[in-house]
Amino acid sequence: MNRRLAPYAVAIAAAVAITAVIGVVAPTATPSALSSLYLLLVLWVAARWGRGPAITGSVVAFLLYDFFFVPPVGTFNVRGPAEVLELAVLLAVALVTSQLAASQRLAQGTAEALAKDSRALYELATSMLRAGDVSQALELVSDSAQKLPTVERFAVAGESGQLAGSPLTADELRQAGWSRERAQAVGIAIKDGAVVPMKTHGGASSVAYLPLQSGVVVLALGDDHAEASDMRTLAALIGLTDLLLDRRRVTVEAERARGLEASDRLKAAILSSLSHELKSPIAALRAGLTALTAPQAGLRDEQRELLGDLDRQAARLDRMVGDLLALSRLEAGLEMEREPHSLAEVAGASLRQMRSLLKGHEVTVRIPDDLPPVEVDEMQLGRVFSNLLENAVEWGPERGGIEVGAVVIDDHVEAWVENDGPAIPPADLDRVFDTFWTRRSSGTGLGLAIVKRVVDAHGGVIRAENRRRGPRFTFTLPLAHVAVG
Amino acid sequence: MGGRVLVVDDEVEMQRALRAGLQYHDFDVRTVGSGEEAIRESAAWRPDVILLDLGLPGMDGFATLRALRPATRAAVIVVSVMPGEKDKVRALDAGADDYVVKPFGTEELVARIRAVLRRQADVTAGEPVVRTGDLEIDLARRHVSVHGETVRLTPTEYELLRYLALHAGKPVSHTTLLRQVWGEYAVGDKYNTRYVVAQIRKKLGDDPANPKYIVNEPGVGYRLEA
Repeated sequence: MNRRLAPYAVAIAAAVAITAVIGVVAPTATPSALSSLYLLLVLWVAARWGRGPAITGSVVAFLLYDFFFVPPVGTFNVRGPAEVLELAVLLAVALVTSQLAASQRLAQGTAEALAKDSRALYELATSMLRAGDVSQALELVSDSAQKLPTVERFAVAGESGQLAGSPLTADELRQAGWSRERAQAVGIAIKDGAVVPMKTHGGASSVAYLPLQSGVVVLALGDDHAEASDMRTLAALIGLTDLLLDRRRVTVEAERARGLEASDRLKAAILSSLSHELKSPIAALRAGLTALTAPQAGLRDEQRELLGDLDRQAARLDRMVGDLLALSRLEAGLEMEREPHSLAEVAGASLRQMRSLLKGHEVTVRIPDDLPPVEVDEMQLGRVFSNLLENAVEWGPERGGIEVGAVVIDDHVEAWVENDGPAIPPADLDRVFDTFWTRRSSGTGLGLAIVKRVVDAHGGVIRAENRRRGPRFTFTLPLAHVAVG
Repeated sequence: MGGRVLVVDDEVEMQRALRAGLQYHDFDVRTVGSGEEAIRESAAWRPDVILLDLGLPGMDGFATLRALRPATRAAVIVVSVMPGEKDKVRALDAGADDYVVKPFGTEELVARIRAVLRRQADVTAGEPVVRTGDLEIDLARRHVSVHGETVRLTPTEYELLRYLALHAGKPVSHTTLLRQVWGEYAVGDKYNTRYVVAQIRKKLGDDPANPKYIVNEPGVGYRLEA
């Protein structure tokens, strides 16, 4: 027997029972006392089962009363206003009471459902806190979701495949990936904090996909009419899944960054120990050679000259090792420290550092006083200037002129170093920056290659060109956004 | 006699070369190979200058520097192979007077040693007026002039210049300048010191690309030419 019809049967049976009791016990009682008994019945049915059974009860009670107790007994004869009023009162009581009872029951039902929801979520949250990691927590959420009566399957997929829940087929994983990439839900939506199944052409019990920030929830819902509270709980669980997936993404990214950092540290450590190994012997060589060139050492002039030559070779070896190390540092992609700097100041430091090499050359600086700061790694830009100056000295005539300049063009700074040496053969203009390419057997082919790497790393471009006066190397640098003055 | 120089380096070849080179330039030289020996020798022999290699085995250069600094009046020149700029700043902030990058020639080293010795003498003399080229900084009267003409500086600019003048010839790190000029808990970064230096240079008529007075120490800080 259907559950819904039971209250009606009870209401009818109760009306019959009351009629029988009255008939046996008090057939002579006054009609008003009798009608109060029926009133009690209607009140009880309305409060317990609501409007439908209550109205049924009132009508049945009225008919029985009319048939058995209102003269002429044995007929359904409604006569006079008294009986009409009797029926109206019974019906009104049925309606009002059932309405009141129904709204109270609804409120109680909602409170119970909410309490159930929050209890379930609370239990889930505490077990998640106990869970060791995000994957475990995701499994817990999936389990909770699958315990809901409407949910047949619940699974979570990420970029790398399935993360939790009931196993997904290759096809479903593909579909989940599609949904994630396009950020498009299939067969499901969340509205006003509840899950709403959207019927697709696929029909009932098809699998639905809901993309989140860092993954996809795959779920299948049953055919049965779902409780609204379950749909709210499901939406809350999906919200929780979203949070967990986000936490997982952050953890994964942090781990990846830690790995990269460790490998950078390793590269830096190797390069630093390599520099120490390569440079220490050169340091001892130069210290010894230069010690002996002091007049107090008592050596003859030609001997001192020879030692001077040797020291210059040692110094050259030192520069080459330095270039090689600088190049490996750039190749290793070790991080640069870019900050706003005054280009004039950086160029000035390089000019100063190269003082002895530049001796006898006429250096002109054309950098406007109001040139805005550039966003650069100071040491690396210093190397660019030093290498270009070294190149200018090497290729320019003795006592020749060298020009260092800069100017703002659009959103960047264009800087240059020019000498008045012979023009670079046009065919070589593009090759001068190639690693190990050199126009002289004595060169290392590293100086300009380093310059190009540094400029590239700053997002700039460099070119070699022949001006009327001589070769010029022009490079661009990004402007900084902070004023240096 | 040029003064007493204690060389701290673990390489025998380096010790021998430096001893010879510095003795030819009239310095009295002793050499040791470790931080512990350096601390002992510094207390016993009282050198004027300590050449301290940062890459020592055992007790490293920084630890040695920290142990040496409170006990000795000697100028400490830190020596290192390709030091990172952070190492230079760390050494300066730990009390080193200067740094020299290996490999170097004897002439260069001798020039650096003479410079720190001269500075030491100036500090002892308590000279209230610091002169470099045409620039004159009268610390007692808080007066700055170029070519005898008064230069008006803001209090911040003067504080920065005064600190550089007190350590004329010595590189001063951005962090030290920040602390000295803006206080222990200065919130800011080195753009502030760069900005202030740019302003001072303008007022002194100094060219950043070819500075006569305030020199940029790349990656480290600034130095007032001595």
